[in-house]
Amino acid sequence: MRKLLMTAMLLIAMTSAAQAETIIASVNGLVCAFCATSIEKTFKKQPAVDQVKVDLDTKLVTISTKDGQTIDDKTITSLITDAGYSVTNIKRQK
Amino acid sequence: MRIYALALLLITLLAVAEEAVAKPISYVGGTMVMQENDETGNTLSVDYTVTPNYAVGFFAKQEEGGSKNMLTVGPQLNTLVKRWNLPVGQGNIFNMTGIGESTLDGKTRPSAWTGMLADYETRRIFTSYELRLMDAQNMDSYVRQRARAGVAPYLANYDDLNTFLMLQVDDHPDKDHTIVVTPLVRFFYHTALAEAGYSSDHQAMFNWILQF
Ligand SMILES: [Cu+2]
Repeated sequence: MRKLLMTAMLLIAMTSAAQAETIIASVNGLVCAFCATSIEKTFKKQPAVDQVKVDLDTKLVTISTKDGQTIDDKTITSLITDAGYSVTNIKRQK
Repeated sequence: MRIYALALLLITLLAVAEEAVAKPISYVGGTMVMQENDETGNTLSVDYTVTPNYAVGFFAKQEEGGSKNMLTVGPQLNTLVKRWNLPVGQGNIFNMTGIGESTLDGKTRPSAWTGMLADYETRRIFTSYELRLMDAQNMDSYVRQRARAGVAPYLANYDDLNTFLMLQVDDHPDKDHTIVVTPLVRFFYHTALAEAGYSSDHQAMFNWILQF
């Protein structure tokens, strides 16, 4: 019974881990932390988004989605444009 | 007569007031409250960003200095005219235009204002130039300029407290002290910004901005 429970838990953990996504966008114009909060605020309003991280050193915006959810490149680009910046590249990690 | 009408139209179209210490447009759906107190008076503005290129808001300014204690209030439209997003910096040109009414010595007149703000910033430096025009019918009108240059003593990342040491130079020919220099320090952390300085005509300056 314990073995079964552990297997089930492991399975659940594995599926959810496999379904959350990390999206890394390279952004131009990302220099001022005060203005860059607009990126964080814009993405946090998205229901699919779990976490957002902005790094001014690398000019990267890292977005983690919730389990089983994703955001397409077009939406990422338009959200960052709405916040006032330009996307140069998007990478994805499962 | 036609030239006069044209000049009047130009003044009305170009007529300012917002001494924007930050970008007058934030992000779509964002609200920005800006409050400034300096040798030119006290300003309050609330702006809501509708699209990446437009923000609508409310502007109020209590002028200070000499005999001018005029109060101006009215709606304002902020426009992003041009933006350059570069790997190491961002440059912008904004326009801020409003119409409303001004009150001085118990008299109220229609007024109009407009301004152009150009800025360029990297993580290390900040520069801006602003031209402002204000016209309150038969009561007051002025053209003013403001330039700023600043440097960050250390490179702060997104979650750090950011600091800029700045020098602001104001040119207002309509006032007693035409040129005023204000050294100031700017701090910001995430969505809160504050700056404090002391001007060459011995006035304290304090500005703050909050973004929602
Ligand atoms: Cu900024």
